Amino acid sequence: MIRKFTFALVAIVMLAAALAFSQVASKPAAAPASKGTVALRTTDGQPDLQGVWSTATTVPLERPANLGAKEFYTPEELAANAARAGQRKGKAAPREDGALAVHYDLSQFALNRREIAPSLRTSLIVGPEGRIPPTTDAAKQRAAAAAAIRRDHGFDGPENRGLAERCILWGSEGPPMMAAGYNDNLQIVQGPGYVAILQEMIHDTRMIPTDGSAHPDKNVKLWFGDSRGHWEGNTLVVDTANFNGRAAWRGSSENLHVTERFTRKDAETLTYQFTVEDPATWTQPWSAEVSWVKSANDRIFEYACQEGNYGMANILSGVRATEAKQAAGAK
Amino acid sequence: MTRTELRNWSMVTAAAAAGLLLAVMPAHSQAPAYKAPKTADGHANLNGIWQAMNTANWDIQGHAAGPGFMWQLGAEEAQPPGLGIVDGEEIPYLPAALAKKKANFAARSKDDPELKCYLPGVPRANYMPYPFQIVQSSKVVLISYEYAGAVRTINIDSKKEAPVDSWMGWSNGHWEGDTLVVDVTGLNDMTWFDRSGNYHSDALHVVERWTPRSADTLNYEATIEDKNVFSKPWKISFPLYRHVEKNAQLLEFKCVEFAEELLYGNLRKKGTDPYTK
Repeated sequence: MIRKFTFALVAIVMLAAALAFSQVASKPAAAPASKGTVALRTTDGQPDLQGVWSTATTVPLERPANLGAKEFYTPEELAANAARAGQRKGKAAPREDGALAVHYDLSQFALNRREIAPSLRTSLIVGPEGRIPPTTDAAKQRAAAAAAIRRDHGFDGPENRGLAERCILWGSEGPPMMAAGYNDNLQIVQGPGYVAILQEMIHDTRMIPTDGSAHPDKNVKLWFGDSRGHWEGNTLVVDTANFNGRAAWRGSSENLHVTERFTRKDAETLTYQFTVEDPATWTQPWSAEVSWVKSANDRIFEYACQEGNYGMANILSGVRATEAKQAAGAK
Repeated sequence: MTRTELRNWSMVTAAAAAGLLLAVMPAHSQAPAYKAPKTADGHANLNGIWQAMNTANWDIQGHAAGPGFMWQLGAEEAQPPGLGIVDGEEIPYLPAALAKKKANFAARSKDDPELKCYLPGVPRANYMPYPFQIVQSSKVVLISYEYAGAVRTINIDSKKEAPVDSWMGWSNGHWEGDTLVVDVTGLNDMTWFDRSGNYHSDALHVVERWTPRSADTLNYEATIEDKNVFSKPWKISFPLYRHVEKNAQLLEFKCVEFAEELLYGNLRKKGTDPYTK
């Protein structure tokens, strides 16, 4: 009797374990397993990536050549670098009273100060190389052709200007998403089955389903590609394809394939990792990692761009006026 | 139990079950108010991809079919008819404002901000002929519109005021039962309500009410107030329909490049017009 009971109990425990395992496979992990990570949860149980994040960083994408394979600074080296940078700043603009001559404050122009997560990385690109792999011949030819059009026809019409100047998209928007230079902010909002990422530049929102669905027909080509996500433990993994190739992130083609990984490290920090592959552009895939810090702002300002794009009219009319003047002088 | 006893017992059980059924059914034949499915935090679930099925973007007031601006486009660009979304027939314009509305109407083929791919403002974004997606979390409800990549974040239970005017305005929301009530301020004066020149000033104040009315429809209602343009508040209302396609998703309608020739074509180098090639 006791033996039979024990057997039944073991069977129940195994069944429960199997059920638990199958749930883990389809849903985010129930509890944080690894040390050093936090599992902040949304009310419906997703790992919580929400909030306004600053993507600003002082770490260069590619490692300075003199550092070789050195991937991280020591805390002492980082402190020394910061001190040197501070000295340079001080020398550049001394004031009579000895204080720094602050020319202007970014906030005067509705630009927030850059909020930066501390990092010991020597480059955002991970691994011993720390640099973008060599580009293919096809990519070099594309780059040369684009440069020739810019040189000979760069001011013919609006379509010849850069995408950011045209208010179509900002080069940093990706994916992969990089620091924008200013307004390096994005807001993550999570609903059931979706993660939305609103980038301040140029008010673009990525809508990422996390239901395991597939990319649409390959003829559906998009500026930002088509993003599909799934959870691996506490990490959101996003796969993006179906690019239209016109944004050409770092010279990439429409065959660009991006894998991003978002992991909340603690209340204030999110680790963003990405791998890009495009055999038509780079001889091998490459990966980078950057820390984002929670912004002190709880929402994103509207970056209306097209609505006030006087720059485009001014650039084109300036070039036309110059041409007219030259033509008059030649007569 | 004999066969008779069994039969009697079955009848009693059946009668009791029928009584129970009657007890839980509504007393009246009219449909009870719809109770929406809830999110994990207990609020009505508004998540989904939605779209209006009306012609208010052409004219928020009732209108007959009419010609478009370009005869070359024939029937494709003609104005479709519609009953309008304004409660009551007239919009209570102040006299000077009515004159301005008429001037806007006369100049609509060149002045409607939609022609230039400008952000549409609120409420117009909600009845343009493009889908939008609601992503609802506890503290923030994000609405991403396909048209021009317009977007709003509605802060729930936030009392913060608009720090500056913007195209899509500043949205504070709260729940009243199943209804998401959104107070929209900080709207600039550069958007229109439709292609017919209905307009507002920067004193515009919109109070939206988003209420589930069935699994796949919402009721949208907005009270519009603007002391510079209207003599009293007025209302619009219409249903929103869920995109129920299995693979429904927002795509990109980044319309800037479609408006560039209109905006800058006169400044291009002669002979480089991509539309005449």
